[in-house]
Amino acid sequence: MKIFRLMQVMTLFLSVAWLSSCIENEPLNAECDIVSASLPEGLLVRPAEIVDRKDVHSVTFIVKNFVDVTALAPEFEITPGATIDPASGTVRDFSEEQEYTVTSEDGQWSKTYTVIAKHDDPIALKYSFENVRVVDANSQGGKCDEFLELSPTDPTIINMIWASGNQGFGLTNGKKGPETYPTYQADNGVVGRCAGLVTRSTGTFGSMVGMPLAAGNLFIGKFDMTNAVNKPLEATQFGTSFYYVPIGLRGYYRYTPGEKFMELVNRKLVEVPGRTDECDIYAVFYERTADMEYLDGNNVLSDDNPNIIAVARLDEEQRKGAADWTHFDVEFKYRPDKSLDPEKLENGVYALAVVMTSSIEGAKFSGAIGSALFVDELEVVCL
Amino acid sequence: MNMKRYIIGVLAVAFSFVGAKAQVDRSLAVIKSMLLGFEYEVYAGTNIGGASPLPLPAEIREINSYSPELNLQIGATVTKWVDVQKKWGLSLGVRLETKGMETKAAVKNYGMAIIQDGATVSGRWTGMVQTRYHSQQLVFPLTAVFKAHKRLKVHAGPYVAFAFSNDFDGYVYDGYLREGDPTGPKISFEGDSRANYDFGNNLRHFQWGMQGGVTWTAYRHLLVNANLAWGCNDIFESSFKTVTFNLYPIYLNVGFGYLF
Repeated sequence: MKIFRLMQVMTLFLSVAWLSSCIENEPLNAECDIVSASLPEGLLVRPAEIVDRKDVHSVTFIVKNFVDVTALAPEFEITPGATIDPASGTVRDFSEEQEYTVTSEDGQWSKTYTVIAKHDDPIALKYSFENVRVVDANSQGGKCDEFLELSPTDPTIINMIWASGNQGFGLTNGKKGPETYPTYQADNGVVGRCAGLVTRSTGTFGSMVGMPLAAGNLFIGKFDMTNAVNKPLEATQFGTSFYYVPIGLRGYYRYTPGEKFMELVNRKLVEVPGRTDECDIYAVFYERTADMEYLDGNNVLSDDNPNIIAVARLDEEQRKGAADWTHFDVEFKYRPDKSLDPEKLENGVYALAVVMTSSIEGAKFSGAIGSALFVDELEVVCL
Repeated sequence: MNMKRYIIGVLAVAFSFVGAKAQVDRSLAVIKSMLLGFEYEVYAGTNIGGASPLPLPAEIREINSYSPELNLQIGATVTKWVDVQKKWGLSLGVRLETKGMETKAAVKNYGMAIIQDGATVSGRWTGMVQTRYHSQQLVFPLTAVFKAHKRLKVHAGPYVAFAFSNDFDGYVYDGYLREGDPTGPKISFEGDSRANYDFGNNLRHFQWGMQGGVTWTAYRHLLVNANLAWGCNDIFESSFKTVTFNLYPIYLNVGFGYLF
C-alpha cells in the first residue's frame, strides 16, 4: 500500500508541477472604468454619480448653486494601468457636457464617458409614465424600457430618470423586448399609458445565481448593477435630493396577485400555501448623511432608521389588490421628534424616495410569479 | 479512511482473482495460448490527471487547488508477440476506469458564454472557478509493444472509450463578471454569492485518444505499470458551445499487474 501511496503522491506532484509550469504571464488589464470621480471639497451637493451600463457611460456632478461650471477640473480614478484623455485634473468648461475617453492597459478596449456638471434641478412632482426610452439591457440585443420625467418648464430636458431592476433582469433575458421585463410601459392607463410592474421568473440563469424571480419595481434613485447579485438589497439605492415638504402621495393603481406565493429557501423557490402576494407603493422622506446618501432594501422602511423623517405608504388592505383602477391618497406620517431645518431643505440635504413593487417581498426574491401592478398619475403632494 | 478501505477492497478482489487464476496457472488453455505467443495480464491502478484546455490560456492565473480524486482502474490485456524473439507485439485491452478531478482556479478576464433555454449570458469572468469532473468509462486500447529489456516493455497506441456515467459541474465565486465584454456592466460575486453550473448532460460518451507507457516486470509475475492516456477529442459534445475552449482528458495511471 505504501508504494501505492508513494506513487500517488509522486504523480500528484508531477501533475501539479506540470500544470503550474504552463501558467503564462499575466495578461494586461482589459478594463477601462472610471472608478471614482471628484471635485474639490465643498463644491458638490452630493457625491458624483457614475453610470456604467451597456449603452451609457456617464459621470454627473451636481454642484452647489454658487459654483461656476465654466472652469472645473474634475479628478478621476481609473482602472489600474488604464489611461484617460483628457487627463484627470484638466480644467474644462462644463457649461456643456464634456467627453473623456478611458483606454484599457492592454490598449484593446475603450469607453467614452460623458461628464456633466450642473446645478441641481428639483425633481418633478407628478408622474404620468407617458415618457420612456428603450435602452440596451444586455449584450445580446435585449432591450427594456426606462421611464423618464421631463422638466415641467422645458420638455426637451430630462428632469429625472426612474430606476428599476430591469438591467439586472436583462442579464438573464437574452434578446427579448421591453414587455417581457418586470418593469415596462403598459397600455390602458388611467390617462394614456402607465407603469407596468410584473413579477417574473428569471429562468435558468436566475436559478444559477439563486435569484429565481424578479419583482417589477420602479423607484426614484439608482440601481447598482455591480451589487445586483452580491448584495441585492443594497443594489436598489432609493432617493434623490428633495427641496419641498411632502404631505401626501396619491395616484391610481390596480393589482392582481399571481397564483402561487413562492418563498426563497436555500436558493430555491418553495410554495407557501395560503399566502397571497401583495404589492407596495410608498414614499420616504429622509435626511441624507455621508453614511446614508441613499436608502436601500435593508433600511428603507426600518422603524429604527434615524435618517427617515416621514413615510407615506399604502395600507395593508390596499396592498392586497384592486381589480380595477383605484385611486389612493396616503399621508406622509412624520415620525415623532423629527423637525425640519429650512436651511437643509434649501440645500438639498433632504431627499425623497418613491418606490413601487409588484411583490412586497420581491427584494428577498419571494413573491408570486405573475403578480401585476399598474400605476398611473402618481403625485407627491407638497406644502 | 473510507477511501483507503475501498482501495484495499478493490485491490484484494483484483488480486484474489489473479491468485485463483494463478493456482490453475498451468491450465491447458493458458499453456496453449502461451505457446501460440499470447500473453495475458490483469492490472489495477489509479488515474491521476484532469481535463484541461491545451495550452492553458493566459487567462488562467493560478490553479489554487487540484484534487485528482481517487480514480481506480482495473483491466486486462492480451499481447500477441509477432516475432520469434518476442521483441515486438500487439496488445488489445479492456479496462474499466474512472477519470475525475476537482480544481479551483483563479482566472482573469476569462471569456465565457452560457447558453441555456435559447438565452445566452456571455462575458468576461475574473475570479474563482470550481470544477468537478467525474466520468466512468470502458476503455479499449490497442497498442504496439516493444520489449526494450527483458524486464521492460514499452507500449503505445490508440484507445477508444465509452463513458457510461458523466458528471461535470461546479460554480464560480469570489470575483466579477463583465457582461458582454470588458467594457460591459460589472456584476460582483462576493461572500456567499455564486453561480452554479452543471454541464454533465453535455459530456461526450465516446472519446478516443492515444496512450503510451512502460511495464516493468518487477518479479516473475508482478508488473509495475505507468501509462499516459491523452484524449484527442474535447470531453464535451461538439454541439455544446458554452465552454468556449476544448477540454482534453489527460491522465497518468500507475499500478500493478499480474502476468500469467
